Formats: sequence, C-alpha cells, structure tokens
Amino acid sequence: MNYAMALDYQNCINCKACEVACKEENGVQLGADKQRIWVGVTEGSIFGHPFVNLYPSQCNHCIDAPCVSVCPTHASHYIDGGIVMVDPTKCILCKGCMEACPYDARFVDDTIFAVDKCTFCHHRIDEYGTTACQATCPTKVRLFGDLDDENCDLVKLLKKRKFFFLKEGEKTVPKLFYLVPEDENFLLRSVGKDTKIHTWDEIKPIYDEAKAKRSKEWKRS
Amino acid sequence: MKVEISRRRFLQGSVALSVVGGTALGTSNILADTKTSEDNKIRPTKKTPTLCEMCVNKCALIAQVRNGVIKKLDPNPLFPKSKNMLCARGDAGIHALYDPDRLKYPLIRAGKRGDGKYRRASWDEAFEYIKEKMVKILDEEKDNRSCIGYCTGEGMAEPTYKEFMAEKFGSSNFINHASICLQTAISGYALTIGGYGMADLDNAKYIIMAGANRAEAILTPDTMDLFKRTRGRGAKLVVVDPRFTNTAIHADTYVPIKVGTDLAFVLALTYVVIKNRLYNREFVEKNFDNFNVYKLHILQQNYTPQWAEKITGVPAATIEKIAYDFMANAPESVYYQGRRSTWAATDFQLRRAQAIFSALGGGIDIKGGIVFGRKLPLDKEEINSPIYANAQERIEKNAAAIIGSSGSWIAWRNMVAQGNAPYPVRGLFVYKQNPMLSVPNTKKTKEMFEKLDLVVVIDTMPSDTAMMADVILPECTYLEREDPIKSFGGVEPAIVLRQKVINPMYETKPVLEIMKGLAKVLNDPLWKNTLKHDEDVQDDTKDMKPDELEKYRKENGFDLEDMYGANQEEMNKKSFVGKYGEEAWKELRSKGVFYPHMKEYFKQIDKNTFEYYPENKKSYSIDKLGEEADPDAYIHDTCINPKEISELRKFFKTPSKKIECYLGNLKKKGIDAMPTWREESYVKIPKGKFKFITGRHAQFTQDATQNNIMLLELMKENYAWINDKEAEKRGIKFGDEIEVTSKIGSVRIKAYPTPKIIPQTLFYIHGFGAKSTGLTFAHRNGASDNEIIEDRIEPVFGSAIMHDTIVDVRKV
Repeated sequence: MNYAMALDYQNCINCKACEVACKEENGVQLGADKQRIWVGVTEGSIFGHPFVNLYPSQCNHCIDAPCVSVCPTHASHYIDGGIVMVDPTKCILCKGCMEACPYDARFVDDTIFAVDKCTFCHHRIDEYGTTACQATCPTKVRLFGDLDDENCDLVKLLKKRKFFFLKEGEKTVPKLFYLVPEDENFLLRSVGKDTKIHTWDEIKPIYDEAKAKRSKEWKRS
Repeated sequence: MKVEISRRRFLQGSVALSVVGGTALGTSNILADTKTSEDNKIRPTKKTPTLCEMCVNKCALIAQVRNGVIKKLDPNPLFPKSKNMLCARGDAGIHALYDPDRLKYPLIRAGKRGDGKYRRASWDEAFEYIKEKMVKILDEEKDNRSCIGYCTGEGMAEPTYKEFMAEKFGSSNFINHASICLQTAISGYALTIGGYGMADLDNAKYIIMAGANRAEAILTPDTMDLFKRTRGRGAKLVVVDPRFTNTAIHADTYVPIKVGTDLAFVLALTYVVIKNRLYNREFVEKNFDNFNVYKLHILQQNYTPQWAEKITGVPAATIEKIAYDFMANAPESVYYQGRRSTWAATDFQLRRAQAIFSALGGGIDIKGGIVFGRKLPLDKEEINSPIYANAQERIEKNAAAIIGSSGSWIAWRNMVAQGNAPYPVRGLFVYKQNPMLSVPNTKKTKEMFEKLDLVVVIDTMPSDTAMMADVILPECTYLEREDPIKSFGGVEPAIVLRQKVINPMYETKPVLEIMKGLAKVLNDPLWKNTLKHDEDVQDDTKDMKPDELEKYRKENGFDLEDMYGANQEEMNKKSFVGKYGEEAWKELRSKGVFYPHMKEYFKQIDKNTFEYYPENKKSYSIDKLGEEADPDAYIHDTCINPKEISELRKFFKTPSKKIECYLGNLKKKGIDAMPTWREESYVKIPKGKFKFITGRHAQFTQDATQNNIMLLELMKENYAWINDKEAEKRGIKFGDEIEVTSKIGSVRIKAYPTPKIIPQTLFYIHGFGAKSTGLTFAHRNGASDNEIIEDRIEPVFGSAIMHDTIVDVRKV
C-alpha cells in the first residue's frame, strides 16, 4: 500500500469545506493558523486584469520525508501505506520537523504540546475509503487512493491525466499529484514554467524505487 | 469534534503524563484519533441521515452520534440535489448545535427594549405572558387579527409556523425574506417564461453569469455541476460583475460592469440578436407572444452595443461577441437567472429581459437550458381555516404594483415605524429572521420594534432582533427535530426527510411544539373575543345552545388546535405512504432520501461520482412529460412560495407555455410592459463618491451563522473592498479603518484595497456587525451593510433596492 492523493485543483472554488471537515473529523485545534489542510491563494493583476489561482494543499506524505528523518525522538514516523504521522507522546516540540518540511504542513497543537499534521484520515480509510476533505468537497477536487493498486480510481485517473508536484526540487518524493488542467491558458497562468510535467508511466518506477528504499520504516508504529 | 482540555487541567496532569506517556493521553481523550477507536469499542457510532439547515440548500447528511454527542456530519451521497457534499457551513453545523450562546430557555424582557436585560421564565409563564397581551390587543382592536404581524426567514419548518399564523390565527400581515431577496428574479421569470426553473449547468455549453456568484453563494446542484465543467471542459462561462469574484476566476471571459447597468447590457445583447436575426426562429414563432412588438421596441429604442458601452462600461465589441457566442451555442446556452436580486429600481425588467434573451435562443424547457423538471407528489392535509370578518387586508398592499402574499419588508416596516398604517399594527412574531440586520436601514427597524406592544422572537440565537423582543422562545436546532417532509423537484427529483438526530437540548422546543403551545393558550380566549366582536359569527350563532356553538366552532375551523397531528413523524408518514407505501417509508427513514426505483437507478461511478437517474429517465422537459406535468414542478426550493407564483400567473392569465414579451396588465399599473432602459431611474455616482454593493460568501449564511466559532476562523470580520488605485489616492492601505457614510448612517470597517473591484464601487459582505451582547464571538465583528443601505423599494413588488446607495469613504 502506498497512499496518495490527486488534486484537480482547477475545480477549487475556495469554499473551505475541506478545512472545516478536517477540523471536525480530526479535532484539530481551533485557530486560523492551526490548519492541517488549506487553500493556497496567489493573486495579482496582469495589465490591469486581475487573476487568482487556488492551490488546495496539505501534507504531501512524502516517501522520502525529511520530517521523519530529522525527528530526534521518532515522534514523526510512518505507518502502513506510507502515511506520515506524529506520536504526540514522543514529541518534544523541538520543531525540527517544522523546519524540515518544505510544505509548511506542520504546526504546534497547543492543547497537547505536540506538533500536529494531516493523517490522510487514516482512521477513516477502512470504513469510507476516503478522507474527510475529499468526501465533503462540493466540486470534488481530491481523489484519495493507493498507488500500488492498479485498479483503484486514483491510478486509473493518473494514467489518464498528466500531473505535477509542488516543490519537486526538494526531492522528498511528495504524494500530492496536482492534475494538469486541460485549458492551455489556465495551465500557463497557474503552473510555473520550470515545473516538470509528469506521466504515470514515467513516474511509476521512480516512486517504486523511492518506496523500496524507505518502506521498511513504514510498519514502525 | 474534540472537546479541548483546558490548559490548567493539562498542566496538573503533566507530571503523570511524562511517566505513563501514551496511556495517559489515550485515556484522557485528548487525541481525537485515539478517541475514535476507544469510543467505537465502548459504544458504536449511531448514524442518522438528515438534512442540513445551515443555508437554504438542504443538503443530505449523515450525523455520527457517540455517547449522545454529535461528533461529525458527513455528506449523504444519495440525494441528487446535494450530490455527496457538505460545504464549510454544513460541516460546521455541530457548532450551531453546541454554540455556548444558544438560547436555552424562554426569556421575558426585564429592562428597556433593546438593552438586553431578560429574566428566565418557564414555557407556561412565557405563553401566559403572550396570551394576556394578545387578548388585550385583540379586544381593543375588535378582533382584527391583522394587528399582529408575523415574519419568517426561509426554512423547512416555515410552513408549520406560517400556516398557523395565516390560516388559523388569521393575520394577513405576513412578511418573509422574498422582498429582501429574490422576489424580482423569481417573479420576473415566472411572468415571462412561466416559471423560474433551474439552469441545467450539467449540460449547458454557454453560461452568462451576471451578478450571480455560484462559487461563493453556493447553490446545489448548480455549484457542483458548473465548476467541474469550466476551463475548457464543456461549459463556456462568462462572468459579468463589478467584482472579480471566485466565480470570475473560473470564467473564460470576465466582464466588469458598472453597478446597476445590467439591464442596458441585456438589452444590447437582445438588439444584436434581433438586428442580425440570430435567434431561434422556429422556437420564437411557436412559443413567443407579442414578439414583433418587442422586436420593434428594441430596434426603435436603438439599444445598440455602442449605446450600452457608454452606460455599462462594457466594450461594444465584447457585447457583440457574447451575443453571437450565446446564440451559436443555443439552445444549450443560459443567461443565468440569479437569486438574491433587486440591485436597482429596474430589477424586475432586468430579469424579464434576461428571460426573453435566454428564450430567443430556444433554451427553455430543454436539456442544457433553463429546465423545469418534475416533482414527486406528496399528500397534503387540508387546513380548516376560519373566516374572521374583522381581519383586515395587509397594511402595505398599495405600496407597489403587486404586493404578493409575502409582503414588502421595507414598506411594511416603514408604515409601522411611522405610524401611518391604515390601522394599528401592535404586535409582531419573528421566526428565524433577523430584520435588525437583514432589512435596509437598521434605525427604522429599531423604531418599528419600539412602536410595538408585543414582540415575540422564536430563534436559536440571541440575535440583534431577539434583543428587541418582549418574549424570546428558544427553538431547537435542525439537528434536534424532525421537520415537514420535503419533495425537491428538478431534473432528478427526490423526497427527503429531516430527522431528529438527538433530543432537543436545554428547554428548547421545535417550532411545531411552540405553535401547539400557543394554539392551546390562545384557543378559548380568542374564540371568546371573536364571539364578542365578529358580527358574522354573532349572526351565525345567534340563539345557539352551548353544544351547538361548540359544533359550529369546530366545523368552521375556529378550534385553533385542530391543524396539527400528534407529532411530526406521524404527519410526515401520512403525507408519504398514501403515494409510495410502507416499504418506501422505511427506506426513506433509514436512508434519508427516496425516489422511485432508487435501488435500481442509483450507481456509484467512482469514489467521487454517482449516477442518480439513467439519462433517459431524467426530466429535462415538462413539455414531453405531457399529462404528468405538475404545476408545482416549476418550484424547486423552499425560498419560493408555489401559491404565490400560481396566483401571479392567474392574475396575468399567462397563456400556457408562451414567452410573454408584453405585459399589458402591468402597463395599467404604470409599469413598463416591456423591458425599457430609463435614464432617470439610474442612480449616477457623483465624483469622488462610491456606489455600495453587498453580497454573500461561502463561509457564512446571511447573518445566521455569525457566531459560529468554526466559521469565524475562516473569516473573523468583513472587509470593505475598494479599488486599489482609488485607495492609493486616498492613502488607504490594507487593514486601515475607514468610515463609510451614506444618507442614512455610517459604519467603520477595515479596508481591503484590491484590483478585483471596479472604481467608484465599494463592497462588503452581508452578515457581520452584530451588536447583540448575547453573541460572544460575533459581537461587533466588522460592519452591517443595512446600517448604510437606504430603504428604497422598486415599483413592481416593493422589493428592497440593495445596490443604489451612494456612499462617502474616509480614512479614519
């Protein structure tokens, strides 16, 4: 098992249903800066024409996760399917993981004195097969699935659509697959020109190799 | 939802914690994840399907209950209208239920009106208080039932309240949200194409969305259908708006337009289409009434794109292109109807012009256009309504050309406040509405409340309006009650049920129980009052013996307690099983949703997609349904009163299925029979000033969710949008406090300079600026729009004009 998520970010309307569903599902600490999941917004204007791009995001559950490597107490760890978790009882709040994370996906939960982050709703997987954020989304931006299962909706989708990653250069092998939009203009406007576009056939061996390297840690929980 | 442990308690336990580690955390329920599995072992999660009421959409949801506490609300994928989703507000419904500021028991005013001083009372005491005042008022007003007004916001329990007040109690002074919301849009379409219908955004190829904002004012299924098809995936989207909204970011073409000039824009589109004969000639020939008159009118008035450019600021070439593209895609093209309307005095004409323009392409009652769909019937219990000879007509009936049964809030309020009603209105019942924040000109609303002898507010929260009440009756939230069963029409019709998830908390009651309680205490005293003052009843009952009199009273509906069944569940069952049977009833209760052949039709396509009806079973066209067509099918949501629409249509004798270009009856009332641009009714913006506009967004519903802590972290307060260049000239930077002043009032609010709004326009979101000290989290967040919006009405329905107020902006 190798859990991942595809994001058809062009569907996002910034309604923030995902943020609220996440908080309710996982009991995330209240506070505007306490988010396991968020919608990134870039806006500006080109020749007087305003534009807004939305990038819904959360923890990438990187296969080669620097937050796990850097943790001195093994509080940050993997569980089955390569989900990156924090064991709050081991966390000493050194915040090394927060520094190491290229995606700023972690924050301090002041109610438990530990770092908190997205868990891919691992407690829901058996029953629902989806995360709370995917289930609640009005325009269905997200699709959660298992990269190792050729028959799951996620892999079927990734075989059909091209995709890119955020901050691929950090080489953490992230698992949020941003789907390339069909519309050329929107693609040009919302994806940096240095961003690499990938296909399933080309990325699959790279991800398998990365998984082989670190998946022995995945059981430790 | 996790109950947060307080810091102090945590510190007390922290010594033990470092020793026992994980165990301590697990057992003290700090971690939601740990808690989930722990709780599951002890007591399984109970799942109840029900319906959301955080806004008007009524999305289907499944509530998870553990140990009597609602832990999570999940979308219920079975409902074709809500399509497996819950928005931020729907998810945050738990915090409406567990809001610490909720009204918990009846309250009776102990201080001056508006000062917020109340004492706790029992239900009996509260009912008794209301009874005494009402009996006195109705005796003094000689049984004129209309001296007690009543208003309500939209909701599934609205009929329970409204029908009692109208049909049994017998007052004609009813006001709901229509005249401060979508009256002109609904009626404009109803009188022109026979119904408001719904835009088939799942199939339309070309959509003009002007002023409507489906990304931020979420409407099901439109929002979900549309944004999966934009950006080159089948639906071309043109957004026309003074603001670059979240809807506009998805548009193929964004057209900034000057506030209040949409009518000129549509007339110019129509001109291009007529002049160049781009319209669907066959459809027009078959379905239009008076097309030639309209054609001549448009051409003679010379509504050219060049003419419209000067008024709207939209380049003539853009208008021309949109007209051509619209017709090239017709009939699968829609000029989106829009909902919260009345932007300017000409709004009714704007909606008519939109409807006619859409129809010119033939996109009415057809897949990909505006569709009317089908509705699954339910049985309805007849109410035995008494006739009170002394009950007078509504006070503001002459305030506009047609004052419908839902009234004109502004006209009504002003008459009561200024004391110039034809007879005194002395009491007001308010249910699920907050006129202190929702009706333009808050000062006058306050004056109105101060004039009244009895104000009763039924609500869940101590709103600004509740603070004006003599008696506050606490209603339970939507998660604590069963509501009247509801059939939603459309392309994919279904029947849905709001079931009780947990028992009402505190001493709250569902509105059904509240109305029953009122009926009980008012029944005999008011009957005596009728016998005393009502000459018709006196004539009828002269020389009757007591048992004959009692029989007369029952037969003629004067028994106020006879309209409700034993309980809501039974009443729902009664209206359902006659048509669909016991088996289906069980299915509806266990699934929350029912439609014939659901088991067979409902299919999961993938994790995100479901099919509700096979394509050949969808109801795109009522024309094709023939006999099956049901007049109610035109009405698809709870914001629209079917009775009112059918009355309107009867009044105008709209020939069935004809597009009405010319409304002769309106002309008699001094209203243009055809959409016409009137330069004199357009409010110009003086140099250096701004036109104020208001609107909605996806995290709050009007002012009903303002105290919800979960939503407040998404947006703590509202900001005033101001064009960045104009802000720079005035030295206004992001977050600066500005003072916005109109003729009627002034507010202070933080500024948001942005290129996303056109110059000379100021915008902030409705629903903030509550002054009630009972609202801990909402108290004085941002500013209320209705403190500055002038109270003017449009001439057709008396609806509030929302976007014609000129304001001054000053940096504080």
